[in-house]
Amino acid sequence: MADADLLARYNYDEFVPEKFERWLNFPASPPLGEPAPDFPLWHLDGSETRLSEIWSQHAFTVVEFGSFT
Amino acid sequence: MNALAEKFSAQGVGSIFLYTHEAHPGENYPHLTSLEQKFRHARALRDVLGVTRPILLDALDGACHRAYGSMPNMSWIFNQSGTLIYKSDWSDARSIENALMYFLDATERRRGGEILAPFHVERLDLRNHDRAAFYRGLERNGPKAVREYRKAFG
Repeated sequence: MADADLLARYNYDEFVPEKFERWLNFPASPPLGEPAPDFPLWHLDGSETRLSEIWSQHAFTVVEFGSFT
Repeated sequence: MNALAEKFSAQGVGSIFLYTHEAHPGENYPHLTSLEQKFRHARALRDVLGVTRPILLDALDGACHRAYGSMPNMSWIFNQSGTLIYKSDWSDARSIENALMYFLDATERRRGGEILAPFHVERLDLRNHDRAAFYRGLERNGPKAVREYRKAFG
């Protein structure tokens, strides 16, 4: 269970620089050519899967990260 | 991005949308406080915005999103063995299509007997920057989202 402070900081309630800029960490993201970090994910029907289950299904897998907003 | 997914699906390319956090929370789609709410917003992405690719949710604390750099609309390409082969801090269908064509061609070259070794390349791609369309998107989120973005970036 994630701690409440992290949940609140990650799911920031206002688009203000002091709340969103800390999350823009692309330069520190995993390097190409290396094994991808794996994490649990959930389908819209609530069933659990993993990112590794997704990437292992196709020769190549495109993953777009985002949200409604 | 939906059209791109359909175009390449017959060539062994999978595509998903990974739901993260609300980048521009507004009155209509406020910041996330529960997994149930995250499921509702993700269904709206499908039903209102028309995302046809499979939508998967990250944990509420964004464990996956944060590990990959937590940019608001980035894209990555994985190969089947789980090696990262493309990353972009913004999602641009033309850039991704260009990369996929390269990787599919490399697959064919290997099948033809070429011995290929990986190398790193950096490139500064160009994305569409339609400010009016972006503001229309913010308006869907609610006036608060428009107000906050305008204050941050004008």
